[in-house]
Amino acid sequence: MLEQQIDALLKGPQYEIPQREKEELLLPLFRDLCRSMAESCPPYGRFLERLGTPIPNWCRLADIPPLPVSMFKYFELRAVPASQVVRELLSSSTTGTAPSRIFVDKTTAFRQARALAAVLKEHIGGSRRPYLVLDSPDSVPEGDRLTARGAAIRGIGNFASSVHYAFRTLPGGELTPDLAAIESFFATHASAHPLLFGFTYIVWTRFILEMEKRGLAFAASGATLLHSGGWKKLTSQAVSREDFSSRAAGVVGCPPAAILDFYGMVEQVGTVFVDCPAGYKHAPAFADFIVRAPCTMDPVAIGQEGLIEVLSVLPESYPGLALLTEDLATLIGSDDCPCGRKGRYFRFTKRVERTELRGCGDVFAQTKERL
Amino acid sequence: MRVTRFLPSGKTYTDSLTPLTEALIGQRSVLAGIPVATLLDLFDDFGRGLLQDPGTRAMDGIAFLSAWLRRSNLEAMLRLNLGGSPEFLDGFLPVGSMKLAARPRGLVSMWMAGNVPTLPLFSIVPALLAKNVCLVKLALENDEGMIPLLTVLSQSGLLPFLAVVWFDYQYQDLNEAMSRAADTRMMWGGAPALQAISALPRQDHCTDIAFGPKYSIGLLDRKRLERSEGLESVIAAFVRDIAAFDQRACSSPQTIFVEKNSRLTLREVAELFAAQFRRLPPKPSLDFYTTVRILNARAEWAIDARRDVIASGPEADWTICMDTDVSMKEAVQSRTVFLTEIETREQILPLITPRIQSVGIAFGDPADAEAFAGRATLRGVARCVRPGLMNGFESPWDGKLVASELVRWVSFKG
Repeated sequence: MLEQQIDALLKGPQYEIPQREKEELLLPLFRDLCRSMAESCPPYGRFLERLGTPIPNWCRLADIPPLPVSMFKYFELRAVPASQVVRELLSSSTTGTAPSRIFVDKTTAFRQARALAAVLKEHIGGSRRPYLVLDSPDSVPEGDRLTARGAAIRGIGNFASSVHYAFRTLPGGELTPDLAAIESFFATHASAHPLLFGFTYIVWTRFILEMEKRGLAFAASGATLLHSGGWKKLTSQAVSREDFSSRAAGVVGCPPAAILDFYGMVEQVGTVFVDCPAGYKHAPAFADFIVRAPCTMDPVAIGQEGLIEVLSVLPESYPGLALLTEDLATLIGSDDCPCGRKGRYFRFTKRVERTELRGCGDVFAQTKERL
Repeated sequence: MRVTRFLPSGKTYTDSLTPLTEALIGQRSVLAGIPVATLLDLFDDFGRGLLQDPGTRAMDGIAFLSAWLRRSNLEAMLRLNLGGSPEFLDGFLPVGSMKLAARPRGLVSMWMAGNVPTLPLFSIVPALLAKNVCLVKLALENDEGMIPLLTVLSQSGLLPFLAVVWFDYQYQDLNEAMSRAADTRMMWGGAPALQAISALPRQDHCTDIAFGPKYSIGLLDRKRLERSEGLESVIAAFVRDIAAFDQRACSSPQTIFVEKNSRLTLREVAELFAAQFRRLPPKPSLDFYTTVRILNARAEWAIDARRDVIASGPEADWTICMDTDVSMKEAVQSRTVFLTEIETREQILPLITPRIQSVGIAFGDPADAEAFAGRATLRGVARCVRPGLMNGFESPWDGKLVASELVRWVSFKG
């Protein structure tokens, strides 16, 4: 029954359900999924029991206690026997802490692949296209362990008619553009509506700036460049989203509207929030998001900033159904986006920043503070 | 204009600290001529004014500050700090075969932390009583509490002897100017701030008074827990200590150790704390960073089968984390307390270092409390006090008799 409901959500149109209807559709599904997850993953069961209200009392999606994403760094949160795990996903762990470990079984992997396809189809069409990965092949190693980068590269690869890599990894681990490969890709595929994907900071530093420095620009007017990942480093370099899109478009030779940022995370592979033509992010049919106010944790009013919670029906093998991120967004509206998509929509703002002034009683000092 | 100056009339802006330090140095002789008895009266009036003025009377910590400013309290502090007689500040007094006086250091530069709105006064008042002029750098430009405090202080006529400023900490030249002008540097804050200030160039004779970083704990002993009478008020007092200054003071308890006893389980003790937390008004606001830290700590304790947690609800208002891991937990602050069950208080002594500032001690037997305080202070603790008194700034603080470090002892043998 649950599987059929999830199947229906993945098969159907992704952005046509008005918010109220979506809430009514998803709430009973999440009740069942969370109950089942609590039984198969005792740590998650304890989390719900100790910090939530009883499941039958949940009256809205916002009543589901969101699990902080960082818990995947500290605990092995698995809802299936180890023998059923077909893939282990690892976060990039840029801050030197342990990476998140996400255990994916066959069912979850299948749902994730279908979900990503269902979402991207609505933004870039369903046909397979030549795919230029703005990364190195070393980011997608063979085997069952994948990083966030590798998982995204592989996931988008489902839309590829052929896969090409734009960078090589130098012995020290640095990425360097493979100019011959890049030029050859555009020479061969520029007119075939190519698809490009990379992590935002890598795309900026290793592709856009490097091509501009070399005076290289291409003429792939039908290309689409998807990118994802943190903006923190770009913000510190005073690069706005508009700068990024217009300069990326200048290099690729496509309109700036074909440069699409998407929000997603390794803890919810397959659930991506892609820029709509109006520049906002919508939840697909099988997922939702809630922007929560600090302290009260109430859903914010339209126009206010808050912590992003992402909800997705996809995970079966790990408790990733309702996750509280450490990212901030502004809730822009609901059911009234100029792009015509239904449901709530948001604009990503930034990661939560450490508050510098915490006084003289801030830490015990021998231990390293973590967010 | 990089420097914001706080005045009763509001903020003014300048680009250099030099005119301020020159003006302050010019006032040193005027301040030196005011008898200490007059200064004590002025601060007594200031304390009363704080409770009456609509701009200050509702500030966090103002009742304590007002009580601390009472003449009797400050006079006792000076007596303790200055060899029994505050009059050493006014001139030579005979001591044996010689005469001694306590002279001001000169200009005291103060770098404040941003955690306690009334904190600057606990540095400014001893410095002015010791007849030093003060250059005070606040941690926050939007420290809106300072203007009302200065407004009330202005009625005492003491404003010419201090300048309160803010500038971005990254302006190295301004920090250096402030440091070079100082005869004493007083600094409050976390380790990075103190290290950065300590490394600034200074005059050869300049002395340093540093506060922080510190961590504070509580201890509920077996005998206290086995007697129900009065326990509720002890726990209420601990909760007041936790809630004050949003648990950001160095004296705020973060981990409270609970000795095993025959009457109450750890969970039952936690429920007693929860009942007191429920009586507090909700927090008015909270930043995203602290919200995330609270929710992460809750989840970490909820998921772990060996731990437990009680929380206010979905909102990040208050949290009680329970475990049996005998350790000092990473401070989360903002009404987040860690209750750790121990077999005996002996287990926590090895954890005590000079980084522990205050221990809130709730013991059933005063003799046990004093014996524990003797051992804990030998290991580095600065204060062992009853619950409810943990945030009460007093002398000594962090092992220092502050006013005594703000004077130069001089002698005369005529």
